[in-house]
Amino acid sequence: MADPADMPSALDDIRVLDLAGEPGMYCGKLLAELGADVIKIEPPGGDPARRIGPFFHDEVDPNKSLYFFGLNSSKRAITLDIATADGQALFERLLATADVVVETFPPGYLESIGLGYDTLSQIKPDIIHCSISGFGQWGPHSHYKAPDIVAIAMSGMMYIAGFPAEAPDRPYGNQTNYCASIQATTGILMALLHRDATSEGQQVEVSMQEALLLNQETAVPYWDIRKDLRGRVGNERRLPAIGVYECQNGYVMFMVGVPGFGSPWPELMRWMVDEGKAEDLLEERWQNLFGQLDMRLIAELYFGTDTELVATWVPRLSHIDDVLVRFIKSYTKEHLYDEGQRRGLLVAPVNTPQDLLENPQLNYRRWFTPVEHPELETTITYPGPPYRLGEAPWRIRRRPPRIGEHNQEVYCGELGLSQEQLAALTGAGIV
Amino acid sequence: MQANRLPLEGIRVADFSWFGAGPIYTESLANHGAQVVRVESQAHIDGLRAAHPMPEGKYTLNVSGYYNNFNASKLSFTVNMKHPKALDVALRLVAVSDIVAENYTPGTLEKWGLTYQKLQEVKPDIILVREPMQGSDGPHANFGGFGAVISPLAGLSHLTGSPERVPVGLGTHYTDYVINPGHTIIATLAALRYRNRTGKGQLVEVAQVESSVCVVGTAILDYAVNGRVQNRQGNRLPYAAPHGAYRCQGEDRWCVIAVFNDEQWRALCQATGDPQWCHEERFATLQGRKENEDELGRLIEAWTSTRTAEEVMETLQAAGVAAGVVQNARDVLENDPHLKERGYYVYLDHPEAGRTAYDGPGFRLSKTPGRLQPAPMLGEHTERVCKEVLQMDDEEMAQLVIAGVLF
Repeated sequence: MADPADMPSALDDIRVLDLAGEPGMYCGKLLAELGADVIKIEPPGGDPARRIGPFFHDEVDPNKSLYFFGLNSSKRAITLDIATADGQALFERLLATADVVVETFPPGYLESIGLGYDTLSQIKPDIIHCSISGFGQWGPHSHYKAPDIVAIAMSGMMYIAGFPAEAPDRPYGNQTNYCASIQATTGILMALLHRDATSEGQQVEVSMQEALLLNQETAVPYWDIRKDLRGRVGNERRLPAIGVYECQNGYVMFMVGVPGFGSPWPELMRWMVDEGKAEDLLEERWQNLFGQLDMRLIAELYFGTDTELVATWVPRLSHIDDVLVRFIKSYTKEHLYDEGQRRGLLVAPVNTPQDLLENPQLNYRRWFTPVEHPELETTITYPGPPYRLGEAPWRIRRRPPRIGEHNQEVYCGELGLSQEQLAALTGAGIV
Repeated sequence: MQANRLPLEGIRVADFSWFGAGPIYTESLANHGAQVVRVESQAHIDGLRAAHPMPEGKYTLNVSGYYNNFNASKLSFTVNMKHPKALDVALRLVAVSDIVAENYTPGTLEKWGLTYQKLQEVKPDIILVREPMQGSDGPHANFGGFGAVISPLAGLSHLTGSPERVPVGLGTHYTDYVINPGHTIIATLAALRYRNRTGKGQLVEVAQVESSVCVVGTAILDYAVNGRVQNRQGNRLPYAAPHGAYRCQGEDRWCVIAVFNDEQWRALCQATGDPQWCHEERFATLQGRKENEDELGRLIEAWTSTRTAEEVMETLQAAGVAAGVVQNARDVLENDPHLKERGYYVYLDHPEAGRTAYDGPGFRLSKTPGRLQPAPMLGEHTERVCKEVLQMDDEEMAQLVIAGVLF
């Protein structure tokens, strides 16, 4: 058997110069884990994201940021001040060996230091230059500052997240990093396929705002087609068994009876009866009400915007929901998940990070991936593959790089600088 | 240079996927030049064709904004896969395709006779891309699910929102739209490039829950390394203050503001007219602002609530402070001057749905930009696919229609 490290991969002929800050870091990781040689170029002193926690054992140290770890595995790293003339000369030599450049500078910055696409493509005519920024390279907001929360807000996805009377919710985890990087990677791969076919390079432009817009789900079509404005619905349960419920050790989501999914009501009733917890729901008045809940009505209540219909039905169904609340409260999320799914009911736990690490399905599939960190004298469990390719597997090639870890390897080993030259550049603050 | 060539020209996709996570990425392939043949059936309707929103007074399978927005630029080919003669038609399509896409419950394709082995027999270098909920094996492989339950399963719901509130998630089937289709298209394009280089096809599997857990990576590492079970923190960040959404003038209008360092804090103070509270010692450092975040929020909101969200954003951004209107769907579609100038939303005329807005590509290629055609009506291209793609004559096609295969 061939060592997986020796197997050809989708991108093992590709070199990426990764100048990206937070929103573009995941892009370099995705490319590296499909086989590309990704050289992360950080300013001397390291990327500012290395100062963002949480940290390994809570030790604040730029080589111990878990936030950084999560976005930078499999890359090599060098330091370089590209704003200096000597730094640019080195960058240009590296560029001549590269296929892709990914960066997240404010629009216009690279041009201002003489490294715009026009220059890059003169040095390397088929270069693929991917720029990620808050609002794209042009347009009235292109110069706006855009940390995650701003891009999320401006993309419309925040407006529909949370509870009606309260401030809208920003999703956990700087989701812009993932969405913008995923869009960038897609564009880069398409540009590579085009280059393979035509030898032509090009620019890939990603606006973080645009990268997120699709996450609004149906909100834009609703406005466009119906002039209905989707707002925040919180935990409004228009139908019993469709929504989030508190259970013995946390929360579960029930999606029982959703049109097109899962089994409808009778099985849930059987479950409650089997457990002796159906209370009075077998009485005729409640059974009649179930009888009226046909697919059409369920669809109208679940998807629809007819507030009058909802206002009529929610109180009618509230007793049923109350019984269900008591039923669910008496079990753990693990039990409800297993038993509900065994009965063909769409039930899912609200998992915590601990639940995920202990998840039987993820562990059966060996999803979590151990990565050795010799300097920390430990092996750390990382999130695993986003996808599994039979022939060209995803693979974490190495732990995330320490600051300037590959300076020697790249500058001396590949560009042929002498130790003295490297020392001089380091002394001058260029490397 | 070949003018107007698109990056995926010459690639054909037999698209058996439905709902969101599959069709969204195959649309991106179609927008960039691939010929995507959606295999659908009257006997097995894509639930999104029946989903809202639909135009007032129209309730047909061709007008759903939900469906149409994810299926631009494709061909719709109706084949009833439950018919015994459908397998042959499907395999003929596979034989002339590069990619087969599907996102059913594991075993569905096999039930129709479309095993990976069978696909390879008719097309040795085929790329089969599967998007099961939990993966093709393991104790939960057959558990039911769809986008709505992925946020809770993947940890996003637990980590999002106010700690005092029920973890309702993001109000949408979040990972259905960018995360899962995005990871899937990346894997698909990688497989395509691998095939171009080696001649080999392959099986690609994207388990939607696995793909989704990737995006809570920091929380995973924090638990794995430090044993800390992170909880939701509302809109706050440990390393920024203020950081949140602040109420503005008007009904349900909000503007987010984010300040990460002292320089930005001073800029915020200046932009808000240098009020007295800006000089208070307790707000002078990030640590102080974090410790007094509730009070800070009230003071900032007193300033924002007498201004429109747009005014707050423009004033603060002009001063170099990160701020953004919490835009709603109307804002992004009709009011955002930036999106308008960039033409992100594309309006297309559809024979039944009329003129409606579609999301444009989430990335822009300078020389080979994607372009959109309206979504297909159910079975709109059945005849075209039979004749142009499968090389059928009228007689054969008629037989298949009469037999109920092309349905």
